[in-house]
Amino acid sequence: MPIGSIILLPLLGALLPPLMVRHGRAVVAWSAALVTALALLVGLWHAPAVFSGSDVSSHREWIPMIGLALSLRLDGLAFLFVMLITGIGLLIILYAYYYLPKDDRLGRFFGLLMLFQSAMLGIVLADNLLLLLLFWELTSLSSFLLIAYKSNTRVARQGARMALAITAGGGLAMLAGFLLLGHVVGSFELSEVLAAGDLVRADPLYLPILILILLGAFTKSAQFPFHFWLPNAMAAPTPVSAYLHSATMVKAGVFLLARFFPVLSGTETWSYIVSGIGLTTLVLGAYIAIFKHDIKGLLAYSTISHLGLITFLFGLGTPLGAVAGLFHLVNHAVFKASLFMAAGIIDHETGTRDMRQINGLWSFMPYTATLAMVAAAAMAGVPLLNGFLSKEMFFAETIYHSWVGPLEWLVPAVATLAGVFAVAYSVRFIHDVFFNGKPVDLPRTPHEPPRWMKIPVEVFVALCLLVGIFPEQTVRPLLDISVASLLGTTPEYHIAIWHGFSMPLYMSMIATVGGILLYTQRQRLFAAHDRWFPRTSGEAAFQYSVKRIRDLANRLIAKIDNESLQRYVAWLLGAAILVTAAPLVSGWQIFGGVALSPLDGVSLAAAFILVVAALGTVIARRQRLFALIMTSLVGLIVTLTFVHFSAPDLALTQLSVELITTVLMLLALFFLPGGPRQEVSRWRHWRDLGLAGIAGIGTAMLAFAVMTRPSISISDYFLATSKPLGGGQNVVNVILVDFRSIDTLGEITVLAIAAAGIFALLWGLRLAVPTHDLEGRRWAQDVHPLIMSMIARPLLPLALLVAVFILLRGHNLPGGGFIAGLVAAIGLILQQIASGIEWTQKRLRISYLAMIGVGLLIAVATGIGAFVLGYPFLTSATLHPEVAVIGEIELASAVAFDVGVFLVVLGTMMLILENLGRLSGASPPSSSVESVSEKT
Amino acid sequence: MELLLASIIGLLVACGLYLILRSRTFSVVLGLVLLGYATNLFLFASGRLATNQPALIGEGPPFADPLPQALVLTAIVIGFAMIAFVVVLALRARGELGSEHVDGLDREADQ
Amino acid sequence: MNHWIILPLLLPLITGALLLVSARGPLRFQRALSLLGTGALLLVAVYLFALANDDAIGVYLVSDWPGPFGIVMVLDRLSALLLLLTAVLALGALLYAFQGTDRQGPVFHALFQFQLLGINGAFLTGDLFNLFVFFEILLIASYGLLLHGGGKLKTRAGLHYVVLNLTGSSLFLIAIGILYGVTGTLNMADLGRVAATLSPEDVPLAAAGAMLLLVVFALKAAILPLHFWLPHAYGETTAPVAALFAIMTKVGVYAIIRMFTLFSHDGGPLTGLVEPWLLAAALLTLAAGTFGAMASLDLRRKIAYLVMVSIGTLLLAVSLGTQAGLTGSFFYLVHSTLVTGAFFLIADLIAKGRQQGAMITEGVRPAGSAPLGVLYLLAAIAAVGLPPLSGLVGKVLILMAAQQTPWLGLIWTALLVSGLLILVSLARAGSYLFWRGPVSTSDHAPSWPLLTPAILLLSTSPLLVLFGGPMTEFAAATAAQMLDTSAYIEAVLGQTPISPRIPLEAP
Repeated sequence: MPIGSIILLPLLGALLPPLMVRHGRAVVAWSAALVTALALLVGLWHAPAVFSGSDVSSHREWIPMIGLALSLRLDGLAFLFVMLITGIGLLIILYAYYYLPKDDRLGRFFGLLMLFQSAMLGIVLADNLLLLLLFWELTSLSSFLLIAYKSNTRVARQGARMALAITAGGGLAMLAGFLLLGHVVGSFELSEVLAAGDLVRADPLYLPILILILLGAFTKSAQFPFHFWLPNAMAAPTPVSAYLHSATMVKAGVFLLARFFPVLSGTETWSYIVSGIGLTTLVLGAYIAIFKHDIKGLLAYSTISHLGLITFLFGLGTPLGAVAGLFHLVNHAVFKASLFMAAGIIDHETGTRDMRQINGLWSFMPYTATLAMVAAAAMAGVPLLNGFLSKEMFFAETIYHSWVGPLEWLVPAVATLAGVFAVAYSVRFIHDVFFNGKPVDLPRTPHEPPRWMKIPVEVFVALCLLVGIFPEQTVRPLLDISVASLLGTTPEYHIAIWHGFSMPLYMSMIATVGGILLYTQRQRLFAAHDRWFPRTSGEAAFQYSVKRIRDLANRLIAKIDNESLQRYVAWLLGAAILVTAAPLVSGWQIFGGVALSPLDGVSLAAAFILVVAALGTVIARRQRLFALIMTSLVGLIVTLTFVHFSAPDLALTQLSVELITTVLMLLALFFLPGGPRQEVSRWRHWRDLGLAGIAGIGTAMLAFAVMTRPSISISDYFLATSKPLGGGQNVVNVILVDFRSIDTLGEITVLAIAAAGIFALLWGLRLAVPTHDLEGRRWAQDVHPLIMSMIARPLLPLALLVAVFILLRGHNLPGGGFIAGLVAAIGLILQQIASGIEWTQKRLRISYLAMIGVGLLIAVATGIGAFVLGYPFLTSATLHPEVAVIGEIELASAVAFDVGVFLVVLGTMMLILENLGRLSGASPPSSSVESVSEKT
Repeated sequence: MELLLASIIGLLVACGLYLILRSRTFSVVLGLVLLGYATNLFLFASGRLATNQPALIGEGPPFADPLPQALVLTAIVIGFAMIAFVVVLALRARGELGSEHVDGLDREADQ
Repeated sequence: MNHWIILPLLLPLITGALLLVSARGPLRFQRALSLLGTGALLLVAVYLFALANDDAIGVYLVSDWPGPFGIVMVLDRLSALLLLLTAVLALGALLYAFQGTDRQGPVFHALFQFQLLGINGAFLTGDLFNLFVFFEILLIASYGLLLHGGGKLKTRAGLHYVVLNLTGSSLFLIAIGILYGVTGTLNMADLGRVAATLSPEDVPLAAAGAMLLLVVFALKAAILPLHFWLPHAYGETTAPVAALFAIMTKVGVYAIIRMFTLFSHDGGPLTGLVEPWLLAAALLTLAAGTFGAMASLDLRRKIAYLVMVSIGTLLLAVSLGTQAGLTGSFFYLVHSTLVTGAFFLIADLIAKGRQQGAMITEGVRPAGSAPLGVLYLLAAIAAVGLPPLSGLVGKVLILMAAQQTPWLGLIWTALLVSGLLILVSLARAGSYLFWRGPVSTSDHAPSWPLLTPAILLLSTSPLLVLFGGPMTEFAAATAAQMLDTSAYIEAVLGQTPISPRIPLEAP
């Protein structure tokens, strides 16, 4: 069996429970248990190899570019953890089946539990940094979802979010650390990294790597100052607390310390940081645990403290320290899991977890009480129990390892103090819960739990005793192989209950006696704690900073974005001015050197009119009609400019567009009567003037610079080729319908889309017809004055005639479908203005949208025609001589294209104007606005 | 002449932008129109200035640069489409927001 | 010459025109037509993707004139990748639109097709002015789509979007004027060639033109401080449109990459012109996006800000100017586009499922919260960049690319912290939406037709990871091709027309 299946089985198992729900809770639980058992068996199946000291490993490339590979390795350390995870997992499943309420169908619960289990197994088996990280974050996610299992309670949601933020955040730091580490080593394969210890420790990046990776480990293992998420995670169902938050997931952090022991340990920095943090956590956790009234709270802080102890041991960096660390890791997993289960049973039976209510349960559930007390004794480190042994080794390490030099005595002292606290809270747990008088108004009257619910606890307690009495026979071999995979060799050590009267034993005694004494004085102690102990906790700090960041975000966003278009435009201009000016500031001569062309009076006069008109538009923008006239005057001058500078096509187009635009604006004007003038703050006024002014001057300079530079251009080619090959004399037109014909196609497409968009915009929109204009003058009541229509009617055929003429002469002389379309449109518009839309509509019944579509299709079709002859899209028929002999095709293709253009243009114009005209249609005079979209 | 045209372009840009920065949709539309003129002139000017030399073969060189003219033609048409759209949008905005202010009148009513 | 290259333009153009003709026809017919066109487009895109997978650059001389005189369409790895991406995204958005969005107003499908035309054109064209034309097509279509369905907030957002972009288009024309005035050409490859050999006195002017282009593209890409339109536009418009728009900002990024790799052709005077600006802007955009995402209470607005975050991340990678950076940016581009697209659809489903829309403050769980919850979770994981979804791979690529730069610390901190903050914010939103209050009585429990498009788009994220090997390989090859500007210029200017032409002499 490939070791991958150890991860894969639970992963597939995660899908099993949700699928099984319809078959009832038992089946769901069994399916989870099955995959877990299988994973356990696969692990055992490899046991012989592992014990013979040869690792089992598998490797498969995944994403080489980021160094991610599916590399797995089952060495001693991994084996130890696989056993822990799957073994404890089995018992947890059994327990959870009874613990969770009968109405819970368990599908979601066991699904998530299996997902976690798979991820956790992944962490311990991964032999690739990124793969490890992948599983690492997966455990954070599954833990998030499991903590929030009882999602309707606020504490659950908050606890889950906090845990996620801290652990996933640590994961991100770890990612950074891994990337650096992989960069230094030159490989992301863990086995290669582990072999490169000296290289890494010598590297300047060692410190950042160390800190970043430790951030990952410490957040996960709830080390100070990140410890606070763990107590808040106690909102999770107790099986989860027992499994994730005491036995396995929180151990991932210390596992990481063990994993990277060969690479990162052995330096002063490592010792100071790791054991320093560990010691702090150890004492702090143990101290706070004493004051928790919530059983699970007490256990959580005790867990924190024990994790601190293990961290400290690894921090020492000594072989024996590592041994003791691993040993205590196993022991803690065992007795803490059983304690959580006991706590769960109590919670389950009494309906509360508050130790001020729960008293004297001995008389209700003596059997469970016995189990719990044995486990608690192990936690306190009482002889003949596993906790005692590892604690002794811990004490020993504190003494025989002098790393604080002069303050040598400090560490043992602190360690003993922590021991005192540990005994104190253990005693409190036992005494408060099972004795200490009668229960105080419990929600339910407790009694022994169902038989099978006790089995897991019994197993664990049995283990406590077994390991505690026969360590060498039970746990020793496991320890040996796992230590070997850390250190390469197994150091000389022996675990025994009786070392003779030695320093560690005295420390244990002090701890025990002191602890009991402390507990007897608890009333005073509580009082002192309430008075002196600082209230500010890491949790508060976290909540505060999260809130602060969110407030900051709100303020910033509100400040940047005031939802006002004017500001947006101002920013756009500001940015444009800034970045465009940047390259120009240094040594740029504006004048390009080409001799200027002479000025003449006419141009000057025209320019003068334009200036007046432009300024007039700005100044008189509130007299809208006048402003509009001014604008079209500007347009007129621009047209003249084109004429003057030998661009007849432009002039013609500009002129006709000018006309249409004006008509359009006039219509709009009718519906935009304007309103009370807005007061604008002084500085806004100057800001706008400044921006506009600078932009204007800048553009002028750029324009001048361009115009005065010697001209180099690809245009010579057009001039050279357009007659012989382009088949047209009007080079501009040839460029439009031939060289750059796709631009023209695109241009009419834009028209078509605009028409469609406008159609959609006006769809169902109704605007009230204002009876007066802004100056209060009454609009003319006679909508279609007679004289107007008298003039307009004969104009139409004329306009159409002109249109056809322009359309046909297009290719060689200025003109073409576009202008033709405009002319025709103008003719029709006159009709509408004169006689009204209904009148005109009655006389031509067509869907303009369809007309536009057809126009587009025709234009495209002419382009596709070239395909047939094996030429690229839009190749003009004139351009391949062998076809050009048939003059008809040439004419056909060119004209067809123009007809397409003509239809699109005409359709667009008519659609716009018709719909605009419709606006004022059947609208109730009173209501100002009514729009369909309100209803949809 | 170049200087004159350049300053005219500059003026049109300035006027256009100033109008675009106003709060009434109608002013903004006028501004966009003026800005359109300016950009077309600019693009046109990038082909340098040539008086009385239409790019018609047969009338003998030298010619005005035809390429910018073609570009401007396209730009004019597209510009028209855009202006038409924004005019109608202004109407729609008045219909939906009940005001001619580019940001609509009362924000609260929107929520 | 391979006629397939022009099909990504012809298909949507013809479909769109046909849809205009049948605009008054039955909706069922329009849907069939639109689906047909989009499906065909997807197939074409797949074929072109396969075609571009060797290093050959496909050049198509529209109307058979050689570059730089005629207009060319260029198919290289990047454009092929983006065409495919667009087609996939479009299919998802369209399928979702069938669920009622297209009923809220006329000509939705025509506008949708024209939108695709504009986007594809922008990705394919090799001519600067033609790029302008396609930008206008893409914009005018987007105006229509954005405003589809109407409504106060939508109209206001639309008005702002339109005016800003019209101003931007004017800047585009001026930039083109400057560049043509200095270089005398419009073909991008030719621009790159000429830019490398500019005479010193012309350099400042050309640089100014280039920078103005940057502003225009930055507006499209919604880079700070030109981002203002995005949160409102994307936050207020209909879901399928927002989903489709996930690619629109990327068009701006694409244009930046395309133009400025060419401007730096063979170490010419314009080399390294924009990178410093990009780096600064990217960091600001990233920050603004992150804060915006934290601040917004409306889920759709939140996701709109996530689009900004993705843009910031992308630009960070681009601003490195290295092959590794581009590789990361290309992978991340694909990932972020598809994921945000899916996320918009999911947000809309959530809004449909509860009475209060997607405001995360009011506590009612959406109807059918089980499937929605899973989708939300996955989308969030992908967006934040947590394993095991594609966000992580993209992020790691970019982090690694940043490793060789002096900005290592800055970029890493920015990316990782932003990731963490977004994680916190999305976790909060999720727990409010799915874990609080009673289940909504709204009968809009999402049906399979509604869920499928979101699932379709989201499922690409795990696939990107599963096939991460080949995907990253392709991204790397794409980056290499982008940086080999000489090959590009040779291919584009070297393509000879079918009909006999006057041999082109360099201007």
